[in-house]
Amino acid sequence: MTLCQLFLQPDAAYSCISELGELGIVQFRDLNPNVNSFQRKYVNEVRRCEEMERKLRFLETEIKKDELPIYDPEDNPDAPKPREMIDLEATFEKLDHELKEINTNADALLRNFNELTELKHNLTMTQGFFDDAISHPVGVMEDVGGEREMELGGQTTTTAAGMKLGFITGVVPRERMVAFERMLWRVCRGNVFLRQAEIPELIEDPVSGEKLHKTVFVVFFQGEQLKNRVQKICEGFRANIYPCPENPHERRELAMGVMTRLEDLTVVLSQTQDHRQRVLAATSRNLRTWQIKVKKIKAIYHTMNMFNNDVARKCLIAECWAPVSELDRIQLALRKGSEASGGGTVSSVLNRMVTREQPPTHHKLNKFTQGFQNLVDAYGVATYREINPMPFVLITFPFLFAVMFGDAGHGILVTIFALWMVLKERSLKDKWRNQEVWTIFFGGRYIILLMGIFSIYTGIIYNDVFSKSLNIFGSSWRVRFGDDTLAKHDSVMLEPTPYNYTRSGDYRQMFSGTPYPIGLDPVWQLADNKITYTNSVKMKFAIIIGITQMGFGLFLSLWNHLHFNHRHAIYLEFLPQIIFLACIFFYLIILIFYKWTSFDGSKATDAPSLLIHLINMILFSYKTDPPSAAVFYTGQKQFQTFLILLAVLCVPWMLLGKPIYRIVMNKRRANYSTVTNHAAGNDSDVEEQHQEEFHDPAEKRGVVLDADVRDTDTEDMLDDEHSHQQHHQHEVEMSEVWVEQGIHTIEYFLGCISHTASYLRLWALSLAHAQLSEVLWHMILHLGLSMNGYGGAIASFFVFMPWSSLTVFILLLMEGLSAFLHALRLHWVEFQSKFYKGEGYPFVPFSFRLLLDEAPVEA
Amino acid sequence: MKDDLLFNLDHGYAEGLCRGFKSGILKAADYHNLVQCETLEDLRLHLQSTDYGNFLANEASPLTVNVIDDRLREKTVQEFQHLRNVSYEPLSTFLDYITYAYMIDNIILLITGTLHQRAIGDLLPRCHPLGSFEQLGAITVADTPAQLYTAVLVDTPLAPYFIDCISEHDLDELNVEIIRSTLYKAYLEDFYNFCKKLGGITAEVMCEILAFEADRRAFMITINSFDTGLTQDERAKLYPTCGHLHPDGLQELRRTDNYDAVRDVASRYPQYKILFEGSGTNSGDKTIEDKFFEHEVKLNMNAFLRQFHFGIFYAYLKLKEQENRNIIWIAECIAQKHRARIDNYIPIF
Repeated sequence: MTLCQLFLQPDAAYSCISELGELGIVQFRDLNPNVNSFQRKYVNEVRRCEEMERKLRFLETEIKKDELPIYDPEDNPDAPKPREMIDLEATFEKLDHELKEINTNADALLRNFNELTELKHNLTMTQGFFDDAISHPVGVMEDVGGEREMELGGQTTTTAAGMKLGFITGVVPRERMVAFERMLWRVCRGNVFLRQAEIPELIEDPVSGEKLHKTVFVVFFQGEQLKNRVQKICEGFRANIYPCPENPHERRELAMGVMTRLEDLTVVLSQTQDHRQRVLAATSRNLRTWQIKVKKIKAIYHTMNMFNNDVARKCLIAECWAPVSELDRIQLALRKGSEASGGGTVSSVLNRMVTREQPPTHHKLNKFTQGFQNLVDAYGVATYREINPMPFVLITFPFLFAVMFGDAGHGILVTIFALWMVLKERSLKDKWRNQEVWTIFFGGRYIILLMGIFSIYTGIIYNDVFSKSLNIFGSSWRVRFGDDTLAKHDSVMLEPTPYNYTRSGDYRQMFSGTPYPIGLDPVWQLADNKITYTNSVKMKFAIIIGITQMGFGLFLSLWNHLHFNHRHAIYLEFLPQIIFLACIFFYLIILIFYKWTSFDGSKATDAPSLLIHLINMILFSYKTDPPSAAVFYTGQKQFQTFLILLAVLCVPWMLLGKPIYRIVMNKRRANYSTVTNHAAGNDSDVEEQHQEEFHDPAEKRGVVLDADVRDTDTEDMLDDEHSHQQHHQHEVEMSEVWVEQGIHTIEYFLGCISHTASYLRLWALSLAHAQLSEVLWHMILHLGLSMNGYGGAIASFFVFMPWSSLTVFILLLMEGLSAFLHALRLHWVEFQSKFYKGEGYPFVPFSFRLLLDEAPVEA
Repeated sequence: MKDDLLFNLDHGYAEGLCRGFKSGILKAADYHNLVQCETLEDLRLHLQSTDYGNFLANEASPLTVNVIDDRLREKTVQEFQHLRNVSYEPLSTFLDYITYAYMIDNIILLITGTLHQRAIGDLLPRCHPLGSFEQLGAITVADTPAQLYTAVLVDTPLAPYFIDCISEHDLDELNVEIIRSTLYKAYLEDFYNFCKKLGGITAEVMCEILAFEADRRAFMITINSFDTGLTQDERAKLYPTCGHLHPDGLQELRRTDNYDAVRDVASRYPQYKILFEGSGTNSGDKTIEDKFFEHEVKLNMNAFLRQFHFGIFYAYLKLKEQENRNIIWIAECIAQKHRARIDNYIPIF
C-alpha cells in the first residue's frame, strides 16, 4: 500500500477517474475536508446528476405504478462522456415533461370520471330512498315528523303548512359518516332528516385519488338558514355535494346522461392509458442503464470534488492509497483515460509519496476467502501489515465447528445444501437479494461447504451417522459368551485382554488386537459406558486442539514481532508467554499422549488420572494413596517442580520486562538528545529511529531518501512506542505503561487457564449434539421402526416427517448456529487474542462495481 | 425509584426512539454551514448530509421556501406520530396533551380565517396536522362561541377548556384572541396538573417547562394588550396561574400599563430578569420574544439531561419546531437575499 499523488489535467481528469473507477483499486482521500459540500468545484455537476436521478426516480415510480417490468441491462455501460451528459439530461427532461403532461391530462379525466361515478352512485342510491318513500310512505312520514301530506318522490315536497322541504344529496367517506351525522344533528338541533346508504364497492376519491369506502346521504331540511348550515357542514367534512333534480324524470335523464358521459370518458381514459403505457414501456427498457450511467457520473464528480485544484499549474491534484502491486495497472488506466479525453498533450502523472500515516488494510480476496475474511473483520480489521488470521481460520474454523457438530449424516445434509448454493452461484446471486437471512447464508456458502465436509470427517471419526454407527470394516470385538451366560445377565462386560469367564480355565479372546481402522469402533454403540468413554476421548481431543491452537497463535505473534522489528517484544513478551504455555500445558499434552500409548488394557487400573496429576503438580503434593494419583515415571516430582517454578518465573518476567525496558530506553534517549541538541541537528537520531520504526520495506526505502522531510516537530506523530521525548509527559506515560502491562500480563496468564478450559466447549457441544440426535432417533423414528408388520411401515411413514423436520430445524439449524457461534468465539477470543490487534481500517477503493452492488437501485 | 425500575417496561422503546431523533437535531456546525449557503439548492445539498437525508430529493427545482416548510413539518409530524403510535399509557395521554395546543391554534386560525371571508378549503391545508380533528372543518358553522361549543368542540378534548369562553357574544377579532388566551390558560393549567399527577421526574421537568410557558404567556399578553382597550381585570383573567409569577407577579402584571413596568415586575424574578435585560427594542438587539425562545430551548435541552421521564417527548417536539423555524428563517433570508439578519436564528446545540 502506498500513498500516491495524481496530477491530472482538468480535461482528462474525468475520463481518468472513470477508468480508475472501472478498475476499482484506488482509495481517494478527501483533500478538502474543510470545504462545505456546496462550495466544492464540481458541485453543479453533482447537482445536475441529482436532478437527473430525481427524474429517473419519478419515471421508475410511474413504471412501477403501471406494473411494467424493468429490464436489467446485461452489460455494464461505461460512464458516459461529459458531453453525453447533456444529451441524457435532454432525454430525461423530455420524458419527464411528456409523462407529466399525460399525467395531468389523465388526472383531469380521472377526476371527472370519479366525480361522475360518485354522481351515478348518488343518483341510484337516492332513487332508492325516494322509491322507498313511495312504497312505505307511513314509515318515512313518521320519521320526518308526521308531515303526512308530503309527496316524497314527487316534485317539490310540501308540508301541511305549505312549507318547502329542501334537500341536499352528496357523498362522504364512510368513516366520517358518524361524526357528520352527529354534527348535523347538533347544529340543526334535530331539525333535519338524514338518509344514508353505503356504496358497496371502493370508490376513488376525485381529489386525492385514493380508494375509499363511501356513503351516499340525503339531508332533508326546512328553510334557507338550515340549508346554509348544512352546506357549511358538508364543506367542512369534505363531502362532495351533487345536484339531484327533484323530478323523477329529470333524475332519470340525468342518470342517462351520466352513463353516456361515463362511457365516453372510459374510452378517452383507456386511450390516454395506452399512450402512457407506450411511453413507459420505451422508458423501462433503458431505465436501469440510465440509472447506472447517472450514478457513475455522479460518483466521478463526487470524487473530483475531493481533489485539490492547483490554479497556477492548471491541474487537479489527487491523493490516493493504492496497492504497490497494482501501480502498473493504475498507470495504464491513467494513460487510457488521457487518451480517451482526446487532448492528451500532457499525460497524467502518478507520484508515490512518503507518509507516516497508517495506510488502510487491503487483502486480496476471492469469492472463496471473502466469507472467512468477513468473519475475521467482524472482530476488527487487521492493523496494517499485521498477520491476517484468515488463511488459518479458513481451515481451523470449519474444523472446530465440525468437532462440535460431528455427525456424518448431518454433515452430508449441510454439504449438499452448500454445494447447491455454490454450484448454482450465478443464478442464485441476484435472487432474494432483499431477504436478509438468505443473504447471510449465501454470503457464507463456502464456509458452510467446508463446515459440512469437515463435519462428515469428524462424523466418521466419532462414527456417528444420525446418531447410529456404521460397521463398515467389521468390529474388532467379538462376543464369545455362551447362550446361557447371555440369558442370565442383563449386560455383560467385554474385556480387552483374554479373560477367564467361565472359571473353567477357558480364556476367551474378545478383542482381536487390531483397532478399528478409522474412528470409533461400532461396538461402542451398544455399550452402556459409551458416554464415559467418548467423554474421556473428546475432552482430551479438545485440550489438545485448544492448546495447539493457542500455541500456534503465539508463534504467529512471533512473526508479528519479527515483521515489525520489535526485538524487545520477542524477549520480553513472546518468550515468557511460550515458556509458560509449554511448562504447564504442552506438558499436559505430552502426558496425554504418554498415557494413551503406554497404558493398555492389562494395566488400565493403574493408569494415572491426569486431572488429579495436574492439580497436584500445581499444589506440589505427591500422594501415593490411590494408585492413579501416584507418580508414574522416575524424577516426575523434581521435573514437575522445575516446570512450575519456571512457569511462575515467567509472570514477573513479563510484568516487569517491558516497562523497565521503556524506562531504560527513555533515559538513554534523553541523554542522547541532550547530546545531539548540543551538537548541530539531530538528523542521525531521527533516521536511526525511523530505521527501527518503519515496517514497510517500501517505506523504509522512502525514509532513507526523504530523511530530511521529517523534522522533529512531527516526531510525536509516530506511534507511542518511541515517540515521546518530552520530559514532562514522561511520568504520565510510564504509569500508563505500567497499568497496561499489568492488565496485559494478568490477562495472558489467567487467560491461558481459562482459555484452555474454554476449549472444553468442543467436547461439551459435541456431546450435546450426539445426545440430542440420539434422543430424536429413539423418541421418534424408533417408534415406527420398532413396530412389526404393515403397521410398522405406516407408522414409519408418519414418524419420518416429525423426525426429519426436527433434525433439520433443531439439529442442523439451531445446533449448527450454536456450534458456529462457539467456533467463532474460540477464534476471536481464544485464538486471535494471542496475536491479533485488529486496529486497522479497511481499504475502500473507488469502484463503480462496489458502488452499484452496494446500493442496488432501490425501490 | 419504582418508576425508574419500571419505566423501560412500557416507555423504554419510545424514549430510545426519541433520544435517537433528538441526536438528529442540527448542530452549531450545521447551522454554520447552512448560513453560508448561497441558494436554496445549496441548502438542500447541505441538509442532505444531515439527518434530514433525502427529504427534499424528490422536489423539482426550483425549490421554494414553502415546499421546504411543508416537508419539514411533514417530517416532524411523521416522527411525532410514530412516537404516538408506539406509546403506552400514560405516555399516550401525555402526547395527546401536547397536540391540544395545536388544536387550539387550528381553531383560532379557522375562526380568524372565516372572519376575513377566506374559504374553508384554503384554510384547512394551513392547519397544523398534529392538531387536526374530525370536526375541524365544520368550525365555520359557528357564529357565536356558544354555538362553537355546542356544535363543534363538545366532542373534542378541548371542551372543558372552552366553558369559560361561552359568555362572549360574537366572534370579532379581539374576542378571538381572548378565546385563544382563555383556552391556552385552561389548557396549560390542565396539562400542568396532569404532569403533576404523573409525578416523579416527569413532574419536575415538565412543570418547570410549563411554568415558564405560562409566565411567558402572561408577559406576552400584558405587553400585547397595551392600547387595546382590554381592561386590567379582563387581562388578569387570561393569565395562566401555573407559573412562577403566580400569584404576586400576576397581580402586579395586572396593574402595569407600559413596557418598563413589565420589566420592573420581571426584575424581581432572577430567571426573567436576565431575559429582559438582554433584550432591547433597537434594531440590532434581540427582541424579548427571541430571548424567551432561547430560554425555552435551554429548558428543553435540560430535559434531556434526565432519564425516565416524559419531558423529553415534549422537549423534542419543541426543539424540532424551533429547528424548523430556524431553517425556514435561514431559507427565507437566502431566498429574499436578505443576508444581514441571517444569523438571527436561535441556536439549539
